[in-house]
Amino acid sequence: MDDRRRRFEAQALPHLDAAYNLARWLSRSPVDADDIVQDAMLRAFRAFDGFRGGDMKAWLLTIVRNCWLSAGKATKRRGHTPLEDQELVAEGDPEHSAIQQGTRRRLDALVAQLPEEFREALILREMEDMSYREIAEITGTPIGTVMSRLARARALLRETARDCL
Amino acid sequence: MSCEQHLNTQSYLDGELDGTAAAAAESHLNSCADCQAQAAATADLSDALRKVTRYRASDILRHKLTKQLDRESGRSPAKSFWVGAASGGGLSALAAGFALFLLLPPTAATLSQSIVDAHTAALTGGKTIMVASSNHHTVKPWLAAHAGISPLVTDFADQGFVLTGGRTDEVAGMRAAVAVYRHGNHEVELFTWPDRGAHLPESAMAKGFRTAFWKMGDLDYAAVSDVDAAAFQKFVGLAKAQRE
Repeated sequence: MDDRRRRFEAQALPHLDAAYNLARWLSRSPVDADDIVQDAMLRAFRAFDGFRGGDMKAWLLTIVRNCWLSAGKATKRRGHTPLEDQELVAEGDPEHSAIQQGTRRRLDALVAQLPEEFREALILREMEDMSYREIAEITGTPIGTVMSRLARARALLRETARDCL
Repeated sequence: MSCEQHLNTQSYLDGELDGTAAAAAESHLNSCADCQAQAAATADLSDALRKVTRYRASDILRHKLTKQLDRESGRSPAKSFWVGAASGGGLSALAAGFALFLLLPPTAATLSQSIVDAHTAALTGGKTIMVASSNHHTVKPWLAAHAGISPLVTDFADQGFVLTGGRTDEVAGMRAAVAVYRHGNHEVELFTWPDRGAHLPESAMAKGFRTAFWKMGDLDYAAVSDVDAAAFQKFVGLAKAQRE
């Protein structure tokens, strides 16, 4: 394997799950998420020589979001698969009780229903631990807008997820 | 949420402020009932959001990506470490071995190494603190919300160890809560993570950093710092003696 490929894999591999998670939450479809991530990784690999340090994860997530946007324009959305029908990939969850699964599904559905711009800010902050500045760069919005979107997303969820808190 | 400072309070709770901005936000938070309610609600929400599904790239997707990169590099299929279980018996067995390995508690040597690595990485990256506060009522709920465990957090300022904030980190693949203290020009950090029955290392010195480990309740604790032996012993004594 050539050196460029090796470096790309070594730096990008640790963030593949984050890339997929973002694609999945933005598109709300496992099929679209697969396509988006494949497209994004190929674009990232081609553009890798232009990547001059900085945060690899934020860089990849920016590309994922761009791919999601252009995929959306191309297909004009297939409508999202209802979450109930999707296979849930639970993270190391030892207890797996019915109640926990129920809460998880309900929270998943509530997050999926958030308007796009609120949903992406919340996912990047709460799941991917991105800073305001990184979220602003990834989404191409001013930091002030990131802050108000986050506040709005949280306020909406506090209302709708009241019974899960 | 009627307080006009609520966005600033949010920035503070998200660990986006430092220095005087953080101090100002903290003093506002201490006196504003609206913002205290917001802080509590944000912590509860953050807690709930940790239950939301984290989707992972499937082995099939990883396999497709490898193929795609092979084509892109204009080469015959390369042996790539991207592909886990998807490509044949040998690798499956290897992947199964790794999975088993991940279920076992880390060894003492891994833990020692991991604590010093996490500490030095944070120091050199200048990222020791995600939430800046000298108030353990702020640091403790932040750690509970972000690390998923509720460690004891006490300010030992009167004894010479000033609580300056907290962050989350990783110790041997486990999420850990870190309380950060200042002692003169030195940083002292207290790591906490869920006990998985690991055999904890003896106190030691590596690369100029002292480490000490102990269990309390269902949590493992580790202190790490480059302070001198006497100060380190004192800190460990204080940390071991703290109670709810």
